[in-house]
Amino acid sequence: MHLPILSLITLTPLIGAIVVAVLPSSNQGIIRRTALFFALVAWVLSLLLLAAYAFGPTGFQYQETTDWIPAFGIQYKVGIDGLSILMVVLTTTLSWISILASFGPIKDRVKGYMISFLILEVGMIGVFIALDLFLFYIFWEIVLVPMYLIIGIWGGANRIYATMKFVLYTLVGSLLMLVAILATAYAYQVGHGGSWAGAFDFQALAQFAATGHFSQNLQILAFLALFLAFAIKVPMFPFHTWLPDAHTEAPTAGSVILAGVLLKLGAYGLIRFAVPLYPYAAHTFAWPIIVLSVIAIVYGAIVSIVQTDLKRLVAYSSVSHMGFVTLGIFVFNATAFQGAVLQMVNHGLITGGLFLLVGVIYERTHDRTIARMGGVASIMPVYATIFGFFILASAGLPGLSGFVGEFLVFVGSFGMAPGIAAASIIVMVLAATYLLWMFQRVAFGPLSDFLAGLGSHLTDMNRTELITLLPLAVLIVVLGLFPSLVLDLLRAPAQAFLTAAAAVGR
Amino acid sequence: MSWSDIGTIAPIVIAVLVAAAVLIVDMAMPGRRDAILVTSLGGLGLVAVAILVQAGHSGSAFGAAYSLDNLTVFLDILFVVIAAMTIMFAGDYLEPRGLPLAEFAAVLIFAVTGGMLVAGSTDLLLLFVALELMVLPGYMLAGFARNDPYSTEGAIKYFLLGSFSSAILLFGLAYVWGITGTTRVDGVTAALATAVAHGSIQPGLAMGLAFMTAGVAFKMAAVPFHYWTPDAYQGSPTPVTAYLSVGPKIGAFAIALRLFVGALGPLKADWLPVIIVLAAATMTLGNLVAITQDNVKRMLAYSSIAHTGYILVGLAAYAGGQQSGISAILFYGAAYTFMNMGAFAVITALQRRPGVSSQISTFAGLGRRDPWLGALMALFLLSLTGIPPLAGFWAKAYVILAAVQAGGWLTALAVLAMVNAAAAAFYYLRVVVYMYMREPSEEAVPSRPGALFRVGLAMAGVGTLIFGLFPALVTAATNAASVFH
Repeated sequence: MHLPILSLITLTPLIGAIVVAVLPSSNQGIIRRTALFFALVAWVLSLLLLAAYAFGPTGFQYQETTDWIPAFGIQYKVGIDGLSILMVVLTTTLSWISILASFGPIKDRVKGYMISFLILEVGMIGVFIALDLFLFYIFWEIVLVPMYLIIGIWGGANRIYATMKFVLYTLVGSLLMLVAILATAYAYQVGHGGSWAGAFDFQALAQFAATGHFSQNLQILAFLALFLAFAIKVPMFPFHTWLPDAHTEAPTAGSVILAGVLLKLGAYGLIRFAVPLYPYAAHTFAWPIIVLSVIAIVYGAIVSIVQTDLKRLVAYSSVSHMGFVTLGIFVFNATAFQGAVLQMVNHGLITGGLFLLVGVIYERTHDRTIARMGGVASIMPVYATIFGFFILASAGLPGLSGFVGEFLVFVGSFGMAPGIAAASIIVMVLAATYLLWMFQRVAFGPLSDFLAGLGSHLTDMNRTELITLLPLAVLIVVLGLFPSLVLDLLRAPAQAFLTAAAAVGR
Repeated sequence: MSWSDIGTIAPIVIAVLVAAAVLIVDMAMPGRRDAILVTSLGGLGLVAVAILVQAGHSGSAFGAAYSLDNLTVFLDILFVVIAAMTIMFAGDYLEPRGLPLAEFAAVLIFAVTGGMLVAGSTDLLLLFVALELMVLPGYMLAGFARNDPYSTEGAIKYFLLGSFSSAILLFGLAYVWGITGTTRVDGVTAALATAVAHGSIQPGLAMGLAFMTAGVAFKMAAVPFHYWTPDAYQGSPTPVTAYLSVGPKIGAFAIALRLFVGALGPLKADWLPVIIVLAAATMTLGNLVAITQDNVKRMLAYSSIAHTGYILVGLAAYAGGQQSGISAILFYGAAYTFMNMGAFAVITALQRRPGVSSQISTFAGLGRRDPWLGALMALFLLSLTGIPPLAGFWAKAYVILAAVQAGGWLTALAVLAMVNAAAAAFYYLRVVVYMYMREPSEEAVPSRPGALFRVGLAMAGVGTLIFGLFPALVTAATNAASVFH
């Protein structure tokens, strides 16, 4: 019996939420620092876990299993592989950064905000470690409520519309996913002589799927349901329309988590559950999904060019960048898979950083219209430098991590579909266009009248803002120069994923 | 009649005595609210003890007209809990409006006695009489606010359509009696099984089935027999609405279990398509109309229609060959009791001051004005939406699981139910939007509810949470209760 480290990491933010709940709401300073403390503890624990993680073997490590509802074989079962641990560390990292980044902007109802954020973290970590389909579903839904509140209470002017749209989109997908999960478990139960034991256990189900026991009909229907749920979350074209609204209206930290982690939940679900459990259906629908991915890549980039709002631009660029992830998953080869996961991490770091940077300027100007900016570099040199760094990373500058992920996806998919791969790589030019053009309009040229009118309000970044951005920048450089740090972790998961995905014909 | 018969129906006898005692106490000590509360709640406690003493036993009374089995015990407990919570919520509402508590409590306990009798009825005639005993006090409760025209209007609609549907149900029962020659459930089952085996289903039986379905659908407020629900729910005093939304509904499903599952079980292939259509129409229409409502009571009325639809999915799953459908119905009923009564209780708390409306604007900024009340309302609404890990989530999950197990058309029904659940999120969360994302309205400043009220609210909240975190505690009871007849 080893230390239940995974439960510990998941519980830490929950304990934090409870502690914050009993603190007096008048003392905002203590509430903020308590929330940050618990998020940091979860972060440190996850780093320790990463350090102790054994890279080599396939399968899940640090498993914990407890019966929850034995009548249906539902368990509290958690465990991690290389993919999960990456996502958990990404989550804990972005969580404390987001909480710290909220210290300034969030002044109203701080207590409720911090509780929401910590519970959000519990849900996100839970999704990435759950090895029981029911448990996964529950964590998946738990994520929804705090995000709904964060956008709806602390968001911008059009927040209520945006948050309802976000919730309804997500719920349509996830409730159909529940039907699919139950149908899958039932098929397993029937296949095991009516015994529910293991019917929701991911490993047992994957084993069952690998030996070709799920009927093609079930696979098609269940895959479509799961795919819908995950595609909405990623979001893939044409299910992406909630994203620009949610991102634009969410508070800065909400956008960071939304882009950094919540979108990854969808991609993670595709990799972990949708493909391995229903390989036949995954192959049947691989081409349509690849086409949708390319449409997302191109469409997201083109729409980004014409955006007038900074946040909306970054939001649409997410649609484009996440298209590489789904493309990399569904071409089914190791290089593209590793590229896709690396792209998930990169997107979390880079887009998270971009949203933080938009937040910095918004805090000072209360405006995000690109046309009203101009000449920021002359007054806020540090800001402009860091902003430029993240812009280049997002545009895929070699040497920074964004390049490696997209390049691997490109290389991996070239063998299968050269035309598709070529189309997607052209988008890197488009990305450079919209990003650099936006950066030019914001940072260079003469100081705009609007910004000049703000006078002394327009100060350069403060220490807190620097602390939130520097870790991300360091990681982007490190992963750009040494991508093998992540790729080594992914070797075993890639192999497992491809083996599972190849179990079509049996 | 023998002493053992009396022993078997002891909880019902005690409940009747409690209701009478409440009236006597009121006569002997007029104006003593505390005495009435002690008598009624203490009495209900006694009833609960009497029921629990019977738990695990089985038997029958009055020549098998009344059966004591796990189903009876489960439903009886539920009815007692409903009555106790309603009384806890009612005090704070009735007093400022000058409405008498004693009559309220007594009438309510009589109604619940009817429900308990329905739960154990295994005779068609007794089933009908028990049903009337349950619903007649309900009409009185709906019109309890005598001087409020809406309350009177709702009560009259409820009464007229209710009597009408009772007559239709009785007509259907008469057909069954005429064809099978018996009113005992087991006798009917045996006769029908023989008829089915010989392939000799008489046309009259189909008529009877149609009438009974319509009658029961009226009582459970299934579309297209739901028209009385919104007016009755909106017009009734709020604690009465809380009761009406769960008590008679669970009673109606108890009839469905004793009648359709028990007596008409051999014909289940014939009533399955009807139930599927009813379920689909009920949840879809209920949800669509609920979306457009600006009055929270009316919105919850339509939402309760939608929940009837979800519960019917469980009944359809049973007809599709899954015993787990029954267990799912029972779990749903129990979960719905706590979360829905809780939601109505919060409305009641807001309406302590007479004149406060139940429009959605009343909820504006509630999360700030009264954090506890706001948080509880959010809990109940999220549970009604079906967000895990709350009671309402498991209720839906069990129903869906049963439907998926039955397969075929029921899988499509399960998908429809989940699409509906997503649509329902819109109107439930709209209230949360008002509570947390809008500025407080001037209209209502909630005054702190009384201690007893808070106990009831806590019961609803704890029930919603515990059912959600430890559903296995409840499924043990529902599984046991799902095997009867």
